[in-house]
Amino acid sequence: MNVKQRADALGTFRFIEVYLMETAAYWTPITPEMEVKVMFGRHIWDFAQHADWLGKRTFELRQPEHYTRRPDDAYVRLLEQMKQAETVSERLTLLYDVVVPGLVRRYGRYLETTDRLLDGPSVLVIERIIPELRRQMGEAQNLRKELAVKTADTSDFRRAETAIDSVVGA
Amino acid sequence: MKTIGFIDLDGHRLRADPARDACFRVVQRDVDMHEYEEGSDLAARETVHRHMSNEITSLDIAAQCLIEFPDAPWELRMELARQCWDESRHVMVLHRRLIEMGGQKGEFPIATFEWNITCALDSIAARLATQNRTFEAGAMDVVKSLARAFHGGGDEETSAVLDGILADEIQHVRFANRWIKRLARDDRRVLLKMAMAIRFLAEVNEKLATRDGELNAVGKRLKDARDTVPAVNIEDRKLAEFSEEEIFEILRQAGFKSLVADDQLREGTP
Repeated sequence: MNVKQRADALGTFRFIEVYLMETAAYWTPITPEMEVKVMFGRHIWDFAQHADWLGKRTFELRQPEHYTRRPDDAYVRLLEQMKQAETVSERLTLLYDVVVPGLVRRYGRYLETTDRLLDGPSVLVIERIIPELRRQMGEAQNLRKELAVKTADTSDFRRAETAIDSVVGA
Repeated sequence: MKTIGFIDLDGHRLRADPARDACFRVVQRDVDMHEYEEGSDLAARETVHRHMSNEITSLDIAAQCLIEFPDAPWELRMELARQCWDESRHVMVLHRRLIEMGGQKGEFPIATFEWNITCALDSIAARLATQNRTFEAGAMDVVKSLARAFHGGGDEETSAVLDGILADEIQHVRFANRWIKRLARDDRRVLLKMAMAIRFLAEVNEKLATRDGELNAVGKRLKDARDTVPAVNIEDRKLAEFSEEEIFEILRQAGFKSLVADDQLREGTP
């Protein structure tokens, strides 16, 4: 990857993190369960911080601070579909069983592809983000057990997410 | 997209209630709340339950601001996102304390008045002026008094929880004060929006306020809302960057009741 490609990838990740922050915020007042609201509240801050770290890094890659790039249309459609989830079960499954693990996978691919020495600051940011996303997945899993929330059938959504090779738009 | 609509209250357009667990009964007026005479375990639990509910509402409001003002400056959105986490922790710690005290969520009625008012407003400056600078700043006064009362009654645990929450609330008020100044500097119409918001709040407050001698749902005789202004938490209001003039005006409205004098007495400061 060259400098521009790294900036575009990080700007795309920033778009996704902001979108996830807004999704969790959108769900908060319309979700009745107190424990779920509270978890969204914490994750709103996680996603905001990730977006902030990525946005500061893009400035170091010859782009404006908080450079944000819209992902591939198919991926944006999936994010929009997730945001419309009606039930707590669907919300938790789509976000924490599909989108967040998918994002971890995509960050991992970035780490495999980039020059870890030359692009050290980006690596540092992503290596801070990944454990936080994994923590979120664990928290959602525990909460579902605690509240006895069933896992929704999201197989079509999962297939569509997996089919998108790269989220970086043309 | 699913949105929370509006309701009419005698000609005032308020935001409809946010979603709540089925165990909660949401009421609109103070007389419908279960505020008990001070000193009993039941009264202490109701106080903790009420604050837990208020923190849920604060979380909902901060989250809704992130949604409804996507073009707000990123640094302000970061403050709101951080506030979401703070309010989440406050809910959790108060819920934990409520259970330790033998209570449970849904044990008492709750109100979402702050949401109904704040989320009816159509500018971020008006919302900051109402929720952070008015409701949360007012809560700094109330919480400081409550923390002291729990301490005085020997409940150090609840007192410490409230004091920890109070420290976070200072930042929520401070960032609102800073951003309101900045937004007003860039656009003078912001001041008009804020003034209209405060007037709207006062009018709705007047409609829902308790009247002297009214009995609440558990038979407690209530005082006129205008006579129950809490003592002003001067120290924390200064930290939250209220000006000397603003603090003087708040003190005047509170009949010059302040918590600073009491603190100085306790610590032996002249």
